[in-house]
Formats: sequence, structure tokens, C-alpha cells
Amino acid sequence: MSKKKWLMAGLVGLSALTLAACGNNKSSNSGTTKHVSMPETYSGSGKATTAGNNSTLRVAEVNDAPFAGISSPTLLTNAEDSDVFSPGGGDSLFNVTKNYKIIDGGLANLRLNRKAKTATITLRKNARWSNGAKVTAKDIEYPYEIIGNKKTASQQYSSDYAAIKGMAAYHAGKAKTISGITYPDGQKGRTATIHYTRMSPSMQYLGSSFLWQTVEPYEYYGKTPISKLAASPKVRKNPIFTGPYKLDKIVQGESTSWSPNSYYYGKKAQIKHITIQVVSSNNIVAAFKSKKYDFANGQQNIVMPSSQYPKLKTLKDYAEVGTPSMNYSYFGFNLGQMNTKTGLNEMNKNAKMANKNLRKAMMYAIDINQVSKKFGNGLTWRANVLIPPVFKNVYNSKAAGFPYNMKKAKSLLNKAGYKKHGKWRTDPKGKKLIIHFGAMQSSSATEATYQYYVQQWHKLGLNVKYTTGKPMEMNSFYSTIQKPKQDAIDIWNAAWSTSSEPTPTQIYGADAPYNYGHFATKKNTQLLNSLNNEKAWNAKYRAQQFKKWQQYMNDQAAYAPEEFNLSWTPVNTRVKGYSVTTEGTNEFWSNLSLTATNPK
Amino acid sequence: MWKTILRRLLIMIPELVILSILVFLLAKAMPGDPFTGTINPRASQAQIHHLMVIHGLYDPWYQQYWNWVVHLFHGNLGISYEYQEPVIDLIKQRGTNTLWLALFTMALTYVIGLPLGIYAGRHEGKLQDTLVRIYTYVTMSIPFFVVLVIGIWVFGYTLNWFPTSGSISSQASGFGGSLISRLGHIILPGLLGALFGTVNIVQYLRSEVIDAKHSDYVRTARAKGVPMKDIYRHHIFRNSLLPIAAFAGYSITGLLGGSIFTEMVFSYPGMGLLFLNAINFRDYTVITALVLLYGFLNLMGTLLSDIALSIVDPRVRVE
Repeated sequence: MSKKKWLMAGLVGLSALTLAACGNNKSSNSGTTKHVSMPETYSGSGKATTAGNNSTLRVAEVNDAPFAGISSPTLLTNAEDSDVFSPGGGDSLFNVTKNYKIIDGGLANLRLNRKAKTATITLRKNARWSNGAKVTAKDIEYPYEIIGNKKTASQQYSSDYAAIKGMAAYHAGKAKTISGITYPDGQKGRTATIHYTRMSPSMQYLGSSFLWQTVEPYEYYGKTPISKLAASPKVRKNPIFTGPYKLDKIVQGESTSWSPNSYYYGKKAQIKHITIQVVSSNNIVAAFKSKKYDFANGQQNIVMPSSQYPKLKTLKDYAEVGTPSMNYSYFGFNLGQMNTKTGLNEMNKNAKMANKNLRKAMMYAIDINQVSKKFGNGLTWRANVLIPPVFKNVYNSKAAGFPYNMKKAKSLLNKAGYKKHGKWRTDPKGKKLIIHFGAMQSSSATEATYQYYVQQWHKLGLNVKYTTGKPMEMNSFYSTIQKPKQDAIDIWNAAWSTSSEPTPTQIYGADAPYNYGHFATKKNTQLLNSLNNEKAWNAKYRAQQFKKWQQYMNDQAAYAPEEFNLSWTPVNTRVKGYSVTTEGTNEFWSNLSLTATNPK
Repeated sequence: MWKTILRRLLIMIPELVILSILVFLLAKAMPGDPFTGTINPRASQAQIHHLMVIHGLYDPWYQQYWNWVVHLFHGNLGISYEYQEPVIDLIKQRGTNTLWLALFTMALTYVIGLPLGIYAGRHEGKLQDTLVRIYTYVTMSIPFFVVLVIGIWVFGYTLNWFPTSGSISSQASGFGGSLISRLGHIILPGLLGALFGTVNIVQYLRSEVIDAKHSDYVRTARAKGVPMKDIYRHHIFRNSLLPIAAFAGYSITGLLGGSIFTEMVFSYPGMGLLFLNAINFRDYTVITALVLLYGFLNLMGTLLSDIALSIVDPRVRVE
């Protein structure tokens, strides 16, 4: 079940922190952050040949269900759709650095004016759609209309969009246009200016919740109403793109095929044909063994099962390429409730898990390194903080996290007054303590690790039981923890997938509905605000605050990191120019070339 | 007979209404909603609320049901939450794929099963019969998904004889090309389905043939000197088909059911996976549409079987 292996749009894995509800793949070595190291780029030996480039690049999209087939980045709701349309360039507006900072050189350039509170987006002169039409200023604005429309099916509207002048009125259906987006040289011009009521340093990065990062072909959609866009043939059958490839054919739910887009502004595509085909995760090993595919799709978000790694790493004609993914799994603790009147999370002093030493003890009692070793084949490793290491500039590599230490765990509990009476420990007041563990049904490896965790907690003397007696079905799990107040789950295990801009306020903020543990302290709010305050325009300061926040979260242990993982794929030796780094992702597809007509 | 058919059709209406209400209620009773776990955390609480409102998910069930019925009579089964397209279109796409595969499999099953059943019955107790029986026992006792996995591994990946994924090649073009590509994609799953799905036909037919062999009319025919070949063709075969005819209606309407195992192993987008995913994702519109469709098909299947039976056996009359 991979529905909710979520990430939004486009090559760079743009936008939105997202729920990775099921993709909690277990797969590392002992030590804090040791894991298999893979190169981020690969280039097969030999020269690319004309015959090779005239053949078809075969790409596998690993997924157990047919894809939905929505090409529009504002409307699509899952990673598969984003993947199968990625040779079209995801209609991405901006070029980025390794740290996802927006720089010049993409379809458009961005200028932020902090004084005037505007973001000005200027298209390059030769910006064209794959049907030859010019990309216009209106195409920059149209995504905001789609996202904010009252009847839209888009799930992208964040409360931060209200910072765009006139957006709130448009969103409520009171205005026909968004007054805060203007066109200095007309709708058909090259420039759009967005006027804000407040600016945020996160706007400098791709995927922020203030600035949308793709275009939509307004003219091409013609009179299709926004509410009907997702079902229209212009989005499903004959979409147009701004990237290096144009779509030749789509077989609904199964495959897409591509050829070079002669209107692309950047480096010309070298390979003449690309097909991307859905392959079930059960078949992917056999498929690579019989050389059906050149690599698995998804760049930073490839869904290759780590359990298959040992079988694939020995393949002669494939090289393993990978990079830390944007996902992390974590443990959450139920500490209070959401006040539905104020919309704020409130901590309850008397909550079962209110004592942070209890929470820390539970984390020190489990050996995640061993879990990673046993099930992860070196592709997952113990996470030390709540920001994935792919964000090198803000990731706190020095934080220790919770390395296994049973002695420490026991002494923490003893000191906190959780004394053993018979088999189990009681709470400091001497009352019986039963802790309910909420876990989601998953692969047998993942369910075995749940079992291990429960067993370790039992060793610690804590009476931990599964909520409902066994791992829960995903929908039941989420509908339980999403309630403003619940006491069925005291500790849970789940995963998040971050956007390319990792500000965590929407998950851990005091007013965040996704703060399922209802963790809310002054200090937390302060730190989260500092990530995007005036001072944070200074990148050094911002990075420092990010690191402080990560350390603070570890000190509080209201949420505890579990595992990081690699996004990886075998790449056939006939492929040249493969890279999973973010740099030059606009050019990911046009950098590829082939040395032979079939996978070797 | 026409009266009976008409009456049966009329009774189907209340049956379908009750079924649809039940399905509607049960679907809503499942924990979660179409947006559980899917909305990204950037979306504000207000936006989620807004989406629930525009989809009418906060309305009381009878109002939702009524809206749904009204739409149904306009030929509108609603929009799938998961795929964001009309359910009708979705069923058309997946249904076409499933029909192709199911028709092919069914035809093959009969082509293999009918002769084998008669053959085994005719040679009752002899080596030929034993061989056929061993074949049916073996194919029945191996779980079908194992067969599929081994099949795709051997013939798809190792020998490279058949495509391993999807219903049609992305490079197929033109009517002829598409047709060939489609056939190419269903041969392996269809053949496996047929080879491992004949046990019912073979066993029923076999025992019927054995029964018929010892019946009076066969003995009479033999006494009159009718050649064995003709006796089999004109007397035994037709009589032995009775139990199989009783299945025929269900087989025809069951064509749209799809096979979850086959669709999963072959990444074949059909009705089985559509139904399974709709339940997992709480795609209410798809769930209700499919259950209603299957319910209708089942009722039709019963009717068709009765009609088929009366055609094959003039002694049976639908009254």
C-alpha cells in the first residue's frame, strides 16, 4: 500500500511537508550515522553513441497500484503522478543550489524585495511550452488561482498564502481575481509581481509555503473551469510541459512515453525516447535482473524496497546510486489536546506521558542501530534529529539523539519515581501504568520491529500494549490521532516526508493540526519563529537556529527521531550522466545519454 | 417465461436499493475519510474543512445518499476522490482491461476444460482418466498467486517471451498494433488463469459423463447400434453440460470482477485493484459504484443461468 508515499510535484521534489503514512521502510550499520555510502552520480564507461541515444531509455516507476494520471503539479496528490510526468520538467520555475536555494538560470528568475514586500518573477525570453506557445506572466499567476479557488480540488492551499494581498478574498469567493498579483508588462508579458503583507526568509528556498514554484498553461486550458481541470483531457491525455521532454503517449495508470521538446530553453535532450512504466515492488528485482529497466524513477524520492538491496547490489551491469532521502520516521507522544476554540495545542501536565524522563527512557531502551542493521541492509540508519541530513546546511549532525543505553534508561525511570512493583513499573504516584502503542500495519519487517520495541520496553519494566491489540489499519490510526483529544494512543510510530524547504512549523507548531502530540511550549514557538524572522534572512543565523531547535526537540523528547534512509536505485552501465543531487535537476533528463541500444 | 423474467427484473429494483443503502452506510462507518493521511501538512485546518464541505462529507448520510441517487439517475456516479475523475470513466478504462483478460481466460478455460472432462469421463478408471485427475488436483491445490509469480518469473523475466507489466505497450500504435500488443499482454496471465482454473469444469463434466454412460437412454442407443461417437456427441455431451450451463450466467457477469492477484503481479490495471484500493483509500464514490455494479451483475447472473439452463434442458422451465 503505497498511496501515501507523498511528496509533491516536480523534479526537485518541490513543495509541502507531507505524510508518509506507510512508507516506513526499515533498512544501517551500527554507530550513529553510518550507512552504506553510495555515489550521487553515475556515468557508464565508454562514449555515448548515436544508436544508443536513438534507442529508448527504460525507466521503472516502482508502485503497487496504477498511477492516477494528473499531470498538473498544483492538482496532483501523490508522488507517482509527479514521477511519471517528470521528463516534462514538472513545469518548475526556478533553478536551485544543492541546498534548494533559488538561483537564476531556470525558466524564470526570482527577485525578493523585502522593503516593498514583493516577489518579482521574470520569465526568460525563450520560455515556451512544448506546443510552441509562449509562457506568459498569467501562467505564473494561474497556479495561485487554481490552488486558492473556492471549488478547487487542489490540496495545496496553506494558511501562509493568506499573506498574498487579496488571496483571502479570492479564496473566500469574494473576489474574482487575486488583487495582490500584478503584471508590470501585461498578462502576456514576462513578469509577475506578488505583493505580500509579510515576507519570510523561507521564500528564498524552493517549496516554501508562501511561493508556488511551477507554472500552469492558462491559454492552453482555455475555458475549462478550475473545478473540472483535474478530469480534463488537457491535464490527463495531452498535457504540455516546459521541460526537456514532451509527452508522446500516456497509457492511463501504466506508462508514459516521451521525446525531446524542441522548445526547451536549456540543454537539449540527448536520448530520443523515454518510457516510464509502473512495476510492482514484488517484481522489481526480477525486472532489474532481466535488464528490463535502466533505473528506478524518483530522484530524491525513489521507492526501492531496502530489503531487495542485497539481491541487487551484486548485479554486474548495474551501479548503485543514492542520496539521503527527505523522509524520516519518528516516535510521537501524546501530551495533551488541541483546543478547538482557539485552534491551539495545549499540553496537559497530568498526561500519562507528561514526564520527559519517561519518554527519554523509552527511547534509550531501543537499539535502532540493531533494527537498521537487521532489516535495513545498511540503507537506513538511526536518526539523531527531526531534520533529514539531505538539508546539509541546517541539519544538526552533532546532536546525539537517543543511542541505545538500557542502563541510562532504567536509571532515568528510577530517578523519576517510576518504581517497579512486581513485573511492571508504576507511575510516581504508585498507580498502575499501561502505555498504549499505536503502530500502523506494514511489511512483516516493520511489524517485527514494533514487536522488538514492545519487547525492549517490557525489559525496561514498562507495561506497553498495542492500541487495539495489534498494529492498526492506516485509516484507523490516522483518524485516531487526528482527533483533537484522544487517549487511545500514548506513543506512536510514523513517518514524515519533508518538502525541499524544511521549516517544520506546520508539523510541530503550537497551532499545527499535524502536531498530533500537542507539544506546545513557549521556547518551541520562539525557536520555530526564529527560523523565519527578520534576522533569519542571514543564512548563518537561520542555520544556527535550525540546529538549536533540533537540539531542543531532543531535550524535550516530545517527538523522537527513529530512522533516516537512502533514496537509491541501480543504474544500468549503459547510462551516462545520471545524478540524484539537486544541483542542475532542471537538467536531470537532458544530462542523460546512452552507450548502447539496450540495457547491458 | 417472459413474464417470469420481467418479474425477476422488477424484484431486482428493491434488492438493489437495499444493497445500495447498506453499502453506503457501511462505507461511511469505516474509520477515516478520503482525505485521511493524504492532505499535506501545509494545508490549513480550514482548507481541509473546506474540502470536506464541498464534497458534502459533513452532510447526514440520508442527504448524501439522496444526492447520490439523484446523480445516479442523471448517469453521474460522482467523481473519484483518489483519481479526481468521473467514476464512469474510471470504470470504463479498468473495465475494458478486465474484460479483455477475463474473456480470453474464460474462452481458454472452456477450450481446455470441456474436452478434458469428456475425455476423462469416457476413459473412466483408465490411465488417461488418472492423468487428467492428477492434473486437476495439482492445479487446484497450488495457490494461484504462486503460479502467477513463478509464471512471470520463468516466462516473463527469464525467458523473456511475454511482457511483464501493464495491458498494452507504450509504443504500440494503430489499430492492428494495439490489438497485437494487447493480446501479447494477456496471453501469459490468461493462459495461467485457464490452465489453473479448469478443475470445476473438468470434474463436473467428468462425473456427469460417467453418470450418463450408465443411464438407460445410452444403453438403449447402444443396443440399437448407434456408433459411440454419435452417442457422445448427441446424447451424453448435451446432458452433461447441465451443471456447466448453471454456472454460465455467473461466469459471464463475473467477467468484470477482475482478479486482484493477477492484476498485482502483472501490474495490470483492472477492476480488482481498483476495488481494493478504493476501500483502502476510502474512495466512497468508487466503492458504492462498484458494489452496486457487482450486485446488479450477480442478480443478472442468476437470471441468465436460469435462462441458460432452460435452453439446454427443455425439462427445466422458468415459471
